[in-house]
This record gives sequence, C-alpha cells and structure tokens, in this order.
Amino acid sequence: MSSYTFDEWYVIRLARTISDREVVFHGFASPCAQVAMHVAKRTHAPNMMLIEGAMYAINPDPPFIPPTSNDSSLKRGAAYSMRFEEFFDAAIRGDVDRMFVSGGQIDMYGNTNVTAVGPLERPKVKLGGGGGGCNISATIKQLTLWTTRHRSGRTIVAECDFITDIGHRTPAGTREELDYTGGGPQCLVSELGVFDYDSQGRMRLQELWPDVTVEQVREATGFEFAVADEVIPVAPPTQAELDVLRAIDPLGVRRGEFDPREMEREFDLVGAGV
Amino acid sequence: MYLDPDKRVDLATAASYVHDGHMIALGGGLSARLPMAMVRELIRQGRRDLHVVGSAHSMDVDLLIAAGALAICEESYVGFEQDLGLAPAYRRAAETGTITVKESCCVTILTQLRAAEMGLPFLPVRGIKGTDMRRLHPEYAETTCPFTGEVLVAVPPLKPDVAIIHAPVGDAFGNLFMEQPYVLDEHFAGASKSVIATVEKIVPTEELHDRGVVIPGYFVQAIAEVPFGAHPASCYPSYSYDRAHMSTYVQAAAKPESADGYVADWVNVPGGEDEYRNKVGAESLTRLTQWSESIDQWKGLFS
Repeated sequence: MSSYTFDEWYVIRLARTISDREVVFHGFASPCAQVAMHVAKRTHAPNMMLIEGAMYAINPDPPFIPPTSNDSSLKRGAAYSMRFEEFFDAAIRGDVDRMFVSGGQIDMYGNTNVTAVGPLERPKVKLGGGGGGCNISATIKQLTLWTTRHRSGRTIVAECDFITDIGHRTPAGTREELDYTGGGPQCLVSELGVFDYDSQGRMRLQELWPDVTVEQVREATGFEFAVADEVIPVAPPTQAELDVLRAIDPLGVRRGEFDPREMEREFDLVGAGV
Repeated sequence: MYLDPDKRVDLATAASYVHDGHMIALGGGLSARLPMAMVRELIRQGRRDLHVVGSAHSMDVDLLIAAGALAICEESYVGFEQDLGLAPAYRRAAETGTITVKESCCVTILTQLRAAEMGLPFLPVRGIKGTDMRRLHPEYAETTCPFTGEVLVAVPPLKPDVAIIHAPVGDAFGNLFMEQPYVLDEHFAGASKSVIATVEKIVPTEELHDRGVVIPGYFVQAIAEVPFGAHPASCYPSYSYDRAHMSTYVQAAAKPESADGYVADWVNVPGGEDEYRNKVGAESLTRLTQWSESIDQWKGLFS
C-alpha cells in the first residue's frame, strides 16, 4: 500500500474546485494554487484555460514549478503569453471564471487582508500586498479561497484589520449593492476543512479532513460558523492525481506554504493500483 | 520625445537623471528583469526621498529602503513570494513609520498609467469600493457614469519622473528588446517623463530589429550597457535568477545592522558594478547563463 502526505492531498482538493472549460488564474506567491491548476489541467479539466500567474502564459507545459512565479520555465510550451493588460482587462470585464485568493486574514464573508495586520499607521505585521486582487476579486466569476494557516487561530478571523480583496459583503455593502459583477468566494479550503458560503455569504463547514474534528475547527476560528447538515470527509486522492502532482512539482514548492507540523500528516492510499 | 540618435552613456551618467524626491517606476517584476545595477548606482550616488510606483516587486524596492533612499512606496506588492517570504526592510520601515506606504493594486496602477498615456485627467475603475484601499489613497475620488448612473472610483494619472528599465538588448537610439513578461514596462515608458535604460548589450539597430522592438527608443533619454545589470534577478534569455544571492540578501536585511553590512559589502564598493560582478564571481554568473543546457541544469538552479 502506498502513502501520501497532507500537502499532496490538500493541493489535489484545491484542484478539484476547478471545473473543465473554466478560465482560471492564480496570483504570484501561491504555489499550492499554482500546482493545483496544473494538476486539474492534467486530470479532470483538460479543456480549462490555465493562466499562469505573473507570466500571464496560457496553457504552458513547465518542466517543473520554480519557487518564483515569473520565471521563464513557467511559459515553456505556452499557447500564448498575454500582456499584463490583456490579462487584467479580461479579468475586470468578466472573462475570467475563477481565481485563487488567500490572505494573512480571512473573515466570515471571505474578505481577505494581504496588506497589514494591526493598526494601519503602525502595523504589527506589514504583509506583502495584494497584487491585482483588490480590483479583480470584484469581477472574476468565482473565487477559490485557500489557507494553510487556519490552525494558527490568527487567520480565520471575525473581521479583517484591512480589507484588500472583497468577499461577499463588507461594511460598505453586498456585492450587489456595490455593482460588482463577480460571484465572490465559492469555497474556502483550509488545512482543517472545506467550507462553502450560505445565502447570506457566510462561511459554512462542508467537509473535514479525517484527522480533524469540528471542535478543532471551532477552536481555530475567530467566529461561530455554520455547519452543514451532513459534514462529509474529504474524498481521498487517486493514484493518477498523485502521479501528476509529483511530476509537475518535483521541487516541492507547494510545501513552502505549510507549517512543518502539517507535513507529519500521512495517509495510506486505499485501493492503490486498481 | 527623445530624438538624439546616440544616447549611449555610462551607468553613473544615466543615474544622474534621477533626482532626490523623484517619482520613479522600476521595470520588470518579482524576480525578473529588475534594474538592479541602476538601483545600486542610485544608492552609491546617495539618492534620497524617492517615490517608487509599480506592481509586484522584491529586492529592488527592498534594497532602496534598506539604504534609506525611499520615502514613499506605491507598489502593489513588495516581497519574496512564498519562497523567501516577506520583504525585511519594507516590513521594518512600514511597521516603524519611516516610509509612507501607499500600497496599490496592479489594476489601479495600470489604469493610472493609461490615464497619463492618454493625457486624461482621470479614469474610472470598477473595483476598490468596499475595500480599505482608499484609506491609503485620499487622492482617489468617485465619479458617476453619465450613461448608466453607476458610481465608480476615479483615479488620477500617474506620471513618473523617470522609468528605469533593464532589457537584454538595446541599440544606441534606445530601442529595447525584451522577453515576456513585459509587466508594466510599456506603460511606464508611455506615461513617464523620461526612460533611463540599462541593457546587457548594445547592438546595431539592424540586429535589434531582427529581435523586435518592444520599447521604442523615442521614449528613452539615455541607455547604458551594464552586463548582469539585473542580477540577482533574472534577465532571460541571458541568465536565470540567483536564488542563493537573493536568500543571502533576505537574511542580511532581517536586521538593520546586517542590512547596512550588505549595502556596504555589495553596493557601496569603490569599484562599482565591476567590483560587484567580481564579488559575485565569474563561476556563479556563468552558471546562471547555462540554464538552457538541460532541464536538470535549469531545475538545479532552484534547488
């Protein structure tokens, strides 16, 4: 029986948020999302249009995923390299179906903070910044949110100290009230569970990893979240998905997103070789 | 328009077009085609109070901050991605208030550059509403569409004093060829009052035309040939990025004293760029140029 590690399963779960024939984009500094897109393209979503973040290369065939997101290896074999403005124009006019978004803080409505933790004038932590997320989170059709730092207790919070990218609603109003054409966050995949959003735009637990309890999720979350009537276990990866993942990410750049203790989570592949 | 047929100068002369207090735009992005030699030269010449604008950047901006050359940072991101993490000098300066952070969004910056390129007083963007971005930008306003009544955020034009762009090749007139991603360089060239270019190699115009002109020379005020002028960033097809050197920098920049040490050891050296390249070493630099020999060679540069 072969085994796999949590980072592998996590990235494969992220990949499964993508549907075939979607136009999908990831930002820079997002190796889990980046690897997930390549896994989806090579498994269940062969006709997706994969836009490689920071290269704006369409459907490339990189020999490996490098640790920086604008290396030329990421445009090898690409059908086309969009100019910066070609991508962002497509995103703001509504031609991009899905984007992956994360943040140092994520609130119950899926707003994210990648700007600063603490008071803005003298932040406790100055984060790197949001790239283009502020504008394009308003217009891209669906957002997949992800975080590998839920367990810290500091990431999934009642309110963001600063809203960089927009979720379902902010104190200024709902997406509808703000004339935003995109649908907002569809799901949040964390290292503790998988969530969707209810009709009020609030986070709701849908799936759990088998080694996590609802109580552990509650302890790590800064607000009371809804729980689906039936919380199901995350579906295990297939051998084919694991093979593709290992081939595309031989340098293991995805692992850079995790706290080292998450790397100790190992699982057996049931039904391998069937 | 800059129509002098021969704009070739040395690096020090090119840097002299940038003055204290200028708004500058740095070409490239993240780990690619950063104008690092010009950044180092501006630090050597003691430039102060610069205002930098752009999209996602890393060591170029962080080093200017570490050396005390920057007053205002208006980039959409400054950092070393997941690999090497937050930008140490940027983070320290933002947290202690020694620089003004006017963090922006790629789309907003692009829109502001387009307004400048078109000579317009403003352009609207559809995003920003509902976010906290306007807390950092009191200069933004609102405008109502005269056709639909939609309320949009209006942003003013952004006209950098100087755009600083590094490219693999250029000619004496300042025409530049570069590989994708061009990032914002074309818009920086169109929106800025002047472009100062550094290139790996200045070639005859016919040779440049064979590669293709990406930035036309009429935007360019001066061009300097500086081999490895983007190091430790990449400048494909010439060389890959030097992850080990970037990592050395990030570790040094973690504390003010060691950041000063990096600037003293690698930037403020009497021999300038020649001494910098010698310190990096011919063997290391040659290895970066050999990325295309095999996939293993290329991959090996990142492990």
